[in-house]
Amino acid sequence: MGVFFSRLFSYFGDREARILVLGLDNAGKTTILYRLQVGTVVSTIPTIGFNVETVTHKNVKFQVWDLGGQTSLRPYWRCYYPNTQAIIYVVDSSDVERVGTSSEEFHAILEEEELKDAILLVYANKQDLPGALTDAEITEQLGLSSIKNRTWAIFKCSALEGKGLFEGLDWLADACAAKRV
Amino acid sequence: MPRDSKYFSSSKKGEVAEWRQDLKTSDKVLLKTTVKRIIAAMTVGKDVCPLFLDVINCMQTEDIELKKLIYLYAINYARSNPDIAILAVNTFVKDSQDPNPFIRALAVRTMGCIRVDKIVEYLCDPLNLALRDPDPYVRKTAAICVAKLHSINSELVVDRGFLQQLKYLSVDENPMVVANSISALVEIQNGESSEIIDSQCLSAVIASLDVCTEWGQVAILNCLAAYKCVDGSEAKKVIECALPKLQHANYAVVLACIRLIINHLQVERSDELLKRIVPPMVTMLNAEAEIQYVALSSIEDIMNQFPSIFHETYKAFFCKYDDPAYVKYKKLDILVKVTNEGNVADILVELREYSGEVDIEFSRKAIRSIGACALSVPAFSQTCVDALLIIIDTRVNYAVQESIVVLKDIFRCYPGKYESVVTPLCRSLECLDDPDAKSSLIYILGEYAGRIDSTLDLLQTFVDTIQDEPTSVQLQLLTSTVKFFLKCPSQQAKTLVQKILKFATTDSEHPDLRDRAYVYWRLLSHDTDTAANVVTANIPLPS
Repeated sequence: MGVFFSRLFSYFGDREARILVLGLDNAGKTTILYRLQVGTVVSTIPTIGFNVETVTHKNVKFQVWDLGGQTSLRPYWRCYYPNTQAIIYVVDSSDVERVGTSSEEFHAILEEEELKDAILLVYANKQDLPGALTDAEITEQLGLSSIKNRTWAIFKCSALEGKGLFEGLDWLADACAAKRV
Repeated sequence: MPRDSKYFSSSKKGEVAEWRQDLKTSDKVLLKTTVKRIIAAMTVGKDVCPLFLDVINCMQTEDIELKKLIYLYAINYARSNPDIAILAVNTFVKDSQDPNPFIRALAVRTMGCIRVDKIVEYLCDPLNLALRDPDPYVRKTAAICVAKLHSINSELVVDRGFLQQLKYLSVDENPMVVANSISALVEIQNGESSEIIDSQCLSAVIASLDVCTEWGQVAILNCLAAYKCVDGSEAKKVIECALPKLQHANYAVVLACIRLIINHLQVERSDELLKRIVPPMVTMLNAEAEIQYVALSSIEDIMNQFPSIFHETYKAFFCKYDDPAYVKYKKLDILVKVTNEGNVADILVELREYSGEVDIEFSRKAIRSIGACALSVPAFSQTCVDALLIIIDTRVNYAVQESIVVLKDIFRCYPGKYESVVTPLCRSLECLDDPDAKSSLIYILGEYAGRIDSTLDLLQTFVDTIQDEPTSVQLQLLTSTVKFFLKCPSQQAKTLVQKILKFATTDSEHPDLRDRAYVYWRLLSHDTDTAANVVTANIPLPS
């Protein structure tokens, strides 16, 4: 019984939210993670596996898991679904051809039973590139407007320039805090 | 029966489930304790494989101890989870660029140990960086890792130019790196150590010899042994670096030194240096039997090249009562080779002792060795013959037979010297059953035909039962009978020859015997003098 209480206590005690960063390969997940964590752009190579870092923002501690987005690695995403409070879904706005694929993956995630309570934050990344779709277009493509009964938001951003990321994180911190109370 | 099914379902989730929960904790102390528990369970053989993903997820930590533990786990279970193991790749790649050289080396080493095909291709880039790392610890680890990679996927090593990199590392400023890259190159060439060292890296390699591990030393010494010295002074330099290692506790190192010295003595001959390899070799004869056997085999090889260097240490080759058979046989072989006039007396006493051993094969070999001594040291052949006669007097069947075979060779080697021995030999005739011994005695009968009174009777007895003998005895009997007839012609001898020729040409089915009989027949019917010249001609001495 003692163990049970201490676990219960620690669950509410430290406010560390478990966040997954998902999205197709080359969407910019790892760059976003390190932009959020250390504030600079680090050179990245395709992530074969995962990165995990702790990001503290607005007094909320996020344990952020950045999972590799290559086709062969996507089946392993589900291993990380249990106990996840929020999903950051990253879309490469300039990759017009694969927006459809990205949308399919996104909807597969929505179907997951284990993620039914997870908060959804979509980043329309790479806004700095010419020809990038706007956030409205991404909303349209991903069919976000039809999502009911879930907390979600979309932010346009550029991980390279550092624009828009923290606005999204502000929203996420508030949404997490709101859910806890 | 259904009632009993409850025993199979348990409400307890068990420790694996509990550990899985604990691995998700943010409490660092609890996490480390849990991982330690899992490693402990792994060590005693419990299956903690289902926790693979949970453990791998804890990999990205600042805590080196925890990281090492998790790496250990990964090495153990990656092969049973090759698919999930790929999730660890990013961590390895990240760690291989860590500011801490220990972590860089650890990551590269662990990746090399995992041996999962899917991971191997991701290993190349980190390995490439590690081979050029500013820190020698990382470079030396990477060098060995190339050898590991080669055993998993040799094409990759060639394609990525890692062999060339290893060559660069073999002249590295750090001796540990040199030693490891040499070991790796030897490993990659499948133990073939030639052409790894060239004159440019010679001094670097010699300098690294003292600092590397003993197995590294073995690899380096073997490479140095295969190195072709340009001149005598270089050979001397190479030999000198090996001399202090002759006293090493690891016999592999000692043997490698000896090989090196012997190889380079071809260039720079020195008896004084040659003598220095004797004591360490003899010391090895006090080690375990397997090592003794290796040492003895090496000694035999060395003696082919330098026949006399072990003569003074002959006592080291005396068999101990508890030596295993394979060591005893090897020792006997060597004992025969180390005999000279100074030690043959001692060795003969020892050999006679062995001839009474319970191990029949060993005892026969000892008797053969006595014969070999008689042949190699003419001055002591009488002593040897005396020893053999004593053995024959014991009337131990196999010993007598073996002695006769041996005596035959002695007779051939020293013609006319030991005729007095022939008569006592013939007395033991009735106990012969071994074909070799029989043929030997029949040979002696033919050779000393004129000097043994009862030759005719003895041959008669043999010819009467010739159809029961093996072919080797039949052949010898045919030759000896013909010899006897040519040496001591008589009517009885003639009858005997006719009888055996008739048997050999009509009753025998053996082509060799028949052919030989026909040859004799033609010779004898043509001219007995010519026949005598051919049949009783002196044959070359045994060597």
